[in-house]
Amino acid sequence: MTKNNRSGDNQSAFGELLFVREVEQFLFYEVGLLDDRRFEDWTDLFTEDGYYWAPAEINQPDPASGVSLFFDDVPMMRIRFARLRHPRVHSQIPPSRTSHSISNVTAKRSGTGDRVEVEARFQMLDYRPGHDQRAFGGKYEYVLSRGDGGRFRIASKKAVIINCDDVHLPVAVPF
Amino acid sequence: MAGYSNDHIASLVRPDQVHRDVYEDPDLFDLEMDRIFGRSWVYVGHESQVPEPGDFFCTRVGLQPVVMSRHSDGTVYVVYNRCAHRGVKVVNEECGNVGRFMCMYHGWTYDTNGDLDFVTQSEGYPDLEFDKLEHGMGRVARWESHHGFVFANLSPDGPGLREWLGENSDFLDDVAVSAPDGEVEVTGGVHRYLYHGNWKMQVENLIDMYHPAYSHESSSAKGGQQFSRREGDKGGIQFFEKRGKVKSMDGLGTHALPNGHTWQGGLPPVENMSEDHRAYVALLEEKHGPNRTREILIKKRHNVIFYPNMAMQELNPHIRVIRPLAVDRTEIFIYPVKLKGAPEKMFRDQLINLNRTHSPTSLVQTDDVEAFTRAQEGMMTSGNEWVLLARTGPQESLESGRIRTTGTSEEGMRNHYRAWLEYMCADRPE
Repeated sequence: MTKNNRSGDNQSAFGELLFVREVEQFLFYEVGLLDDRRFEDWTDLFTEDGYYWAPAEINQPDPASGVSLFFDDVPMMRIRFARLRHPRVHSQIPPSRTSHSISNVTAKRSGTGDRVEVEARFQMLDYRPGHDQRAFGGKYEYVLSRGDGGRFRIASKKAVIINCDDVHLPVAVPF
Repeated sequence: MAGYSNDHIASLVRPDQVHRDVYEDPDLFDLEMDRIFGRSWVYVGHESQVPEPGDFFCTRVGLQPVVMSRHSDGTVYVVYNRCAHRGVKVVNEECGNVGRFMCMYHGWTYDTNGDLDFVTQSEGYPDLEFDKLEHGMGRVARWESHHGFVFANLSPDGPGLREWLGENSDFLDDVAVSAPDGEVEVTGGVHRYLYHGNWKMQVENLIDMYHPAYSHESSSAKGGQQFSRREGDKGGIQFFEKRGKVKSMDGLGTHALPNGHTWQGGLPPVENMSEDHRAYVALLEEKHGPNRTREILIKKRHNVIFYPNMAMQELNPHIRVIRPLAVDRTEIFIYPVKLKGAPEKMFRDQLINLNRTHSPTSLVQTDDVEAFTRAQEGMMTSGNEWVLLARTGPQESLESGRIRTTGTSEEGMRNHYRAWLEYMCADRPE
């Protein structure tokens, strides 16, 4: 192996590191918006035809095969969050607080490189005053695309929580 | 279990009030499991959930685990989920397919109708003659089905299923005939949610047309968020008229039947039929002709309670199973009902609408759950021992034994408590 090649390898490895880091930073920002209750900004991260899906069964093949914990397109997200802003959304008075953490991030480019497939593990703590704190966790799968200025947009997000088929108390803020 | 006299139990229910103990007293809850869930017909599941021999589906009757299975002879059985040997729950998955049930503890096996199949090392029981029924998992006293809806009764006494269903059996007929193939299938998964409240709160809420404008203001009112509950409808339900006055839902009507069953109706026809909906109507017309099809599409009942543990709605058809866990803890399972032969897209839309209205992340029932939880807490106060169910409207008693009244009347709940008293106070048939 020549010196030049090694430097090329280093360069691509470094590029890869920066790329994964960029993806991670985006994911941290994304779930942070939920925790900060910036729901409208969060919704704006999705492409117009984007969606967010949480299956109700662990191996559910698609949202058409059965009911889901949620399967929101962007208009539905806007309705969901506008409701959370309603002064008499009784089941959220007082509102839930959440804390999302993300780890084990892998990202790979697909197609022409504008499309990025991401997998990660996550945990969400959920606390509503007067109720027991809950912990949800599982696997995220994203398809990201590059929007204006090369910024990531979410074409799709899927959250499979490991107890998706459990009997749940109400969940207000998405995973 | 406290030894409550019938007089004591009867004193808890007044014509227009019930005592808070019926929601709060754990001893009364135990009695309910024995005397209501142990005496009434209780919804178990639908035959389409166990289509093939060896298929099984586990659920509970009250607190008692049972298995609904399709035996090798094609017949559906309902048996207790318990090994005859040392009491271990035999079947541990919610559903699946087996050749035999096998107990994990000592390897006893049972046929798919619960009969004893094989005892391991049986030479150790020289004095015992094994009987396949007596030493089987144990069949529940009775089970019957109507249009595939399977109900079980743990007591050998009392009316048969059809008599107990009364007019509710007509509703199951209506549901079946609204499927182009003439039958329904329970498929498409299940929504499961939990609340920290008494099971009767959910039953009562289902026929409470007084609460939506207030409980569900955030998802229905002007200024609240509108979303269509059904494909072909433009927006959500509006409970508020122009000048901010709440529109009464009295027009829906409440119908109280014997045995605690209650229904409300009807469901307005779809405003803007999609291509799929038109295809669906065409399929019905092909089979039944235009006049009968028009009748079928007019849903005079859309929300029907099978007291005590099941309710069905024709809006995004689904079954709601009420599963008590404790006096202050209840599980609700929602099963989509597929109209066989209808365009697939209709079922997909139905699933998506059920996600919005009936999942644990729903925009609607989460507010009901909040009300149940706060009621359970509010009733801990001793300042007022009574819950008021006094709301009325013009009311008439029909020959069939049905009482017809207004949508926001609390007659449906009073009807539940008449049945509740009958079950709770009837002498034990020993």
